[in-house]
Amino acid sequence: MIATFFLIALLQIKVPDAAQIVGQPQGTPLSGPQLERRTMEISSELRCPVCQGLAIGDSPSIMAANMKAQVRELLQRGYSEQQILSYFEKSYGQFVLLKPKFQGVNALVWVLPIAVLAIGLVLVVSKAKKLETAPVAAPPPEEPVDDPYLARVRDLVEKP
Amino acid sequence: MNRTVLIIGLIIVAAIVVVLFAGLGKDPQHIDSPLVGKPAPPFALKAVGTGETIDLESLRGKPVIVNFWATWCVPCYEEHPTLVANARQLPDVQFIGVVFNDEESKIMSFLAARGSAYPTLLDANGKTAIAYGVGGVPETYFINPAGTIVAKFEGPMSTEILQANLAKALR
Repeated sequence: MIATFFLIALLQIKVPDAAQIVGQPQGTPLSGPQLERRTMEISSELRCPVCQGLAIGDSPSIMAANMKAQVRELLQRGYSEQQILSYFEKSYGQFVLLKPKFQGVNALVWVLPIAVLAIGLVLVVSKAKKLETAPVAAPPPEEPVDDPYLARVRDLVEKP
Repeated sequence: MNRTVLIIGLIIVAAIVVVLFAGLGKDPQHIDSPLVGKPAPPFALKAVGTGETIDLESLRGKPVIVNFWATWCVPCYEEHPTLVANARQLPDVQFIGVVFNDEESKIMSFLAARGSAYPTLLDANGKTAIAYGVGGVPETYFINPAGTIVAKFEGPMSTEILQANLAKALR
């Protein structure tokens, strides 16, 4: 692990830093079990760019592993959840957020189901009210029977 | 009342059909880069083989093509000859290969077998790739002389695709 760290340090002179992208850390540096828990939580909110709808925390891809390692490192350095999500959003766009933001066309994802449900409820309630207030139809008057066969049957039944 | 229900239903169905139709033929893996039109994230990485440090900022003043690739990526084998041929023909354009999650020995073997015409840098932990919003390899970014990303292309490039995107960097 230490050897890998030094190898990376030796190979990489300068890489784009989070401070240039989202500023200085606004949270508390994490370590131990809390760091692991928060890494998993935030990794479940970021979409793996090479998989179909998988979070980076659930993806076996190399890119997802790199992104998860980056989440972990940013948490260790004290970056807040909002800063970390924003860091990835600046590179990948809103695509990377598994929970879309309430803005622009994405707002439809939140608003549309509620609107459709509300319209449905209004329709059901108004229909139910109409059924309640509608007068009960009177039974149709008995029509005189001029069927000769039926008249004969009635005669036979009614004869004492 | 029934007419109202019918109209609302038709509007909802029409909206769904429009959304689905708009998505037809689109690559679900394609990501529109928010970095297009913005300054290219700076990096300085060591070149494979020579150990020379290449700093992106030192290349200001000429168009730069940054190609993310890896030896484990099959389409990268297909694309490599196009990149090498164009790099040889376009000396005023700086080509840079950035390899992530790979081994230097494998990269050296790859380049020895298939030719090399520009520096290949090692992005050992993929941080540069993340900063550029790389989803998969190969992926190529076109940077104009002012240091702004003008185009991004996902997948293996042909000469036509490369030159069409390069034209944006030369405008």
